[in-house]
Amino acid sequence: MYGWIWRHLPGNALMKALISIVLVLAVVYVLFQYVFPWAEPLLPFNDVTVDNQ
Amino acid sequence: MNVAATTDDTEHAEHTDAPSTASPPPRRRGGGIALAVSVFGELLITAGLVLGLFVVYSLWWTNVIADRKADQQGDKVRDTWAQEDTGPGALDTKNGIGFLHVPAMKNGEVLVEKGTSSKILNDGVAGYYTDPVKATLPMSGKDGNFSLAAHRDGHGAKFHNIDKLKKGDPIVFETRDNWYVYTVYAVLPETSKYNVEVLGGIPKESGKKKAGKYITLTTCTPVYTSRYRYVVWGELERVEKVDAERTPPKELG
Repeated sequence: MYGWIWRHLPGNALMKALISIVLVLAVVYVLFQYVFPWAEPLLPFNDVTVDNQ
Repeated sequence: MNVAATTDDTEHAEHTDAPSTASPPPRRRGGGIALAVSVFGELLITAGLVLGLFVVYSLWWTNVIADRKADQQGDKVRDTWAQEDTGPGALDTKNGIGFLHVPAMKNGEVLVEKGTSSKILNDGVAGYYTDPVKATLPMSGKDGNFSLAAHRDGHGAKFHNIDKLKKGDPIVFETRDNWYVYTVYAVLPETSKYNVEVLGGIPKESGKKKAGKYITLTTCTPVYTSRYRYVVWGELERVEKVDAERTPPKELG
């Protein structure tokens, strides 16, 4: 999978490495900004109140 | 001689045989199963990395965001207090009603806002309960329980060190006009998350029978999970007027 992506990136090795870093950062950004905030309330790690539910 | 020759022959035959059978190199790429396994393996590695990032997000990034928010909101509250035109008794609960200082938790001041929804608490503040049991605010002057909740981990982790609180430790609540000095008198290190009794006006589990001015801090326990709730109770000891320099009471000195 990653090998396939690497082979399909344009340019030489340096170019590919730069694009890879940008892609990784983009993925991390999407995770931190959208995916994790969405997933967090669904997981039982951070309920701090007492309630009847 | 003959025997030796035959053994030699067989050995020789084996030697030549072995490479000849292996001569077409095993195909490492392109095989359907090999490809599927490698993609599956990479997906597993990816999943591991994503989970690792989630831990980083939960325990670090949410704190960064929450502290930033809490600082902004806290500054706003202090600005409002500094403006003289809000008459005495005027209470703006939108941005927060005051600050909680708990020296034993070593986390500075914690802004207190109305409500305990995750939307509120995720801004790195403590919230006073409006549901299921409404908190009695200390400014009201009435007997009751000032019940608060905040995060143990992530989102500012304002009550992370709640386990450092011992009997006799001070909890100070600062409002525009007053310092409310409470003293911890009971700790419940583990209780069910359905135990709403702890928020009661007279929290019986803490050993109190009579009405009084209490404060209750709740958060989750053990750390990094939400299995149980940790509860700390305090009782109002005295109220100090805020002076012009906002000199903190001696408990915070």
